[in-house]
Amino acid sequence: MKKFQFLALAILSLVFAACSDSNSTSTEQHEHFEVEGWRLYSAEWDTLYSVYRGKETANLEGLKVNANCMSAHIHVKFLDENNKEIAGPSDDEHSLGWDVGDSKILDIHFEGGWGFHLKGLKEGETTLILKVKHHDHADAKTPEIKVVVDKALDADKCPFQEDEDED
Amino acid sequence: MKTSLFRAAMGSLLCGGFLHFSFAQEFVQDLGNSTIVAEQSTETILDGLRKDEELQAEKLDRKISTTIAETIKNEPDIAIRSMGPAAARPVIKGLSGSHVTLTEDGSFCGDMSATSPDHAVASEVLTAHKLNIVRGPRILNESFATAGGVIRVNHNDIPFEIETVRAFSSSDLRTRDSLSSNSQTRDSSNSQFHGYVTGYTESGQPGFATVVGANANIHGLSLKGELSARNMSDMRTPDGDLKNTDIENKSFAVGAAYNFERFKLGASFRNFNSTYGIPGGFIGGHPNGVDIDLFKRDLTLRGLYLPAQKSSDTLNVTFRLNQYHHTEYETKEYVGAEFAVNQENFRIEKFIAQSGPFFGIHFGGEFDMRSIEMGGYVFTPPTNSYSASLFSVASLNGWRDGLEITLSARLGGAFFRPQKSVVADKGAIEDRNFALWAIAAEFSQRVTPGKFLTLNVFRTTRAPTIEELYNQGPHLAAYTYERGNHKLDAESGYGAELEFRDYGEIVNWRAAVHSTWFLNHLAPRATGDTNWSQILPIYQVSGDDALLMGGSASVELPAEQGFYAQAGASYVCGFYQNENWSDMPQIPPFKFHGEIAYLWAHVRAGINTEFALAQNRVDRYEERTPGYVTFGASLEFHWSLALTHYSIILRSENLFDADMRNHLSRLKSVMPEKGRNLSLLAKAEF
Repeated sequence: MKKFQFLALAILSLVFAACSDSNSTSTEQHEHFEVEGWRLYSAEWDTLYSVYRGKETANLEGLKVNANCMSAHIHVKFLDENNKEIAGPSDDEHSLGWDVGDSKILDIHFEGGWGFHLKGLKEGETTLILKVKHHDHADAKTPEIKVVVDKALDADKCPFQEDEDED
Repeated sequence: MKTSLFRAAMGSLLCGGFLHFSFAQEFVQDLGNSTIVAEQSTETILDGLRKDEELQAEKLDRKISTTIAETIKNEPDIAIRSMGPAAARPVIKGLSGSHVTLTEDGSFCGDMSATSPDHAVASEVLTAHKLNIVRGPRILNESFATAGGVIRVNHNDIPFEIETVRAFSSSDLRTRDSLSSNSQTRDSSNSQFHGYVTGYTESGQPGFATVVGANANIHGLSLKGELSARNMSDMRTPDGDLKNTDIENKSFAVGAAYNFERFKLGASFRNFNSTYGIPGGFIGGHPNGVDIDLFKRDLTLRGLYLPAQKSSDTLNVTFRLNQYHHTEYETKEYVGAEFAVNQENFRIEKFIAQSGPFFGIHFGGEFDMRSIEMGGYVFTPPTNSYSASLFSVASLNGWRDGLEITLSARLGGAFFRPQKSVVADKGAIEDRNFALWAIAAEFSQRVTPGKFLTLNVFRTTRAPTIEELYNQGPHLAAYTYERGNHKLDAESGYGAELEFRDYGEIVNWRAAVHSTWFLNHLAPRATGDTNWSQILPIYQVSGDDALLMGGSASVELPAEQGFYAQAGASYVCGFYQNENWSDMPQIPPFKFHGEIAYLWAHVRAGINTEFALAQNRVDRYEERTPGYVTFGASLEFHWSLALTHYSIILRSENLFDADMRNHLSRLKSVMPEKGRNLSLLAKAEF
């Protein structure tokens, strides 16, 4: 009888051990901000770059900056499934993110919102991937965007001076 | 007419050890140079022969690798679907996912490995005492998918019978595999304590794995305890280290059993924790890969009733409570995806040794409840699912000399109840119910002594998974954008397998061909479209009519001492029914494995080769894979001393560091499989 009691106790302990810890998720499910394309505008709202469903629009100016200089503000807009322009999310959870191909050539200057400045570090060519970050996760991202960093200029000869920034 | 068991055993040894003591009714079966005699038959001769193909004892130690899939990769019709060394799952006859059921100690293996290629099988292979690939009608005992198969992992966590180790003399060393497999009923009365310690290390993925376990019998109460750990760093390939492929597993198991006069009661608890990496570097993938943490807890209660009038006619009741938790991290702190699964399974099974013309009758029922919650960026709604089924397997003979027939059926249903979720398309949240039935009949005819021709005909089916029904979004670690279809019907199909086995004086061989005609074969297929938000390829689950066919053959030159040789090959091809009969995706290429060994009293030395042909038969948008050839060698020492059995197994694989690409690996476009690998397994059982 003692053996049976011992076994019963062991089984009850196992059941208790197995059932005492609840098993549920610690994170909520998150909605995605889905976009089909991106459009980048200059400070004067000229289209610099546009991509829709993986196809880049040809004959646009592209992203350029001189080494040792900062570009003017670049606005970021998004394209929905109907190729219609939409603004980025306005909540606190989403923000602009980026990956620079060669961080010795190019840096990004970010001032919040859905825009940024290019900062040329060294003459050359590199790539930039822009992202819509949702916490640390990328909801959306661009293909690799070519960025040209032209020859270095003295700070006072840069086309854009930081104090000109309308932002 | 009756031959002694001793003579039968000797015959079996000469024949490569395929004798089994559990044969049923009184009969004499001449198998070439062996004679099997048994009383109280409970299984067909074919099932007895299949038992010798189970991996256990030294046969298992010889093949132990990082995962269950790697360990059984050279068995007939087996391939590996993988996404790094940890996330590897077996594929049977070209069928993967929920076509392949994994069970642990006779009940479901509660993980999510069937649903996605980045999900690992939550079971430490080093803790397995036996691996068994169930073929033929007996698949229906555990699954509706007769076209695929069941892989049984046996941990013996409920110690109804304590294994005993006896001192092995040199003459019976090589027969230990067969003897241990034959000893279904072990003598627990004369052993109070049994233990085992195994260590494994390799250079292909530097690190170690170890398991320590013990069984004890204290006044009739049997107890088991086991601890295991695995810690392996990044996998080395001929092109360099494959980053983020490290594995860290820990497990423990405890079990207890007590035998009353007519009842056996037992319980076990197994806890498995794993942390592993999924490599990055794919187009659209996470640059640094993804880290996955998971745990699985299984509480199993089992009762066995042995009637007084006929103790062989057992009633087996099993309840398993399972918790599985899986978290995918994009960065160290940030959860990208999370799954929490709670599952309960109740199974009752009656076994009748003989009734009328039938023998080895199994019948019973199974009820299963599963709830799954998701978190992070998972785009499947939380879902409760229920399933219930009745199953039966029985054999008969006597209609015709040498003919044995096994009939089986499984009937049941699966019911899905998705919950509201912010991520799910409202129109796709729909309750679904599926009625399922599958049957199989196997006819095994002894053509001449030692030669068997077997035909298995079957209907296969399976319900869609919740991911196949409701998923709608990017899958972080699989680097795909997955679209389910809540309108899917159940998959079904009709198939046949023809097998010939010849157990001769010198050589044993078998060859089989199989074919299945699928109605509504469910599979995620690359659509060629891209999700432009995340730049991920879109995979859509679709149901298509398809034809899957193939074959396998193996030959063995068994030996007690001297030369031993073994070789096997498998091939499968699949076509969708359309204008062009286009190729199905994820079909493994032709594969061959061969080994020559020399056996001394305590030593075994061998060389082996493995090659796969290029896979050029691919689905649209699927990549072709080149073939490969690899060579390996092994050296084993086995001896017994002071009631302890020792084994040391040294193995080298891919000696020439060949660039080996697995067609079923998502990593094949980035990196090859493991390069040159030297491994050492040391084991002591007392």
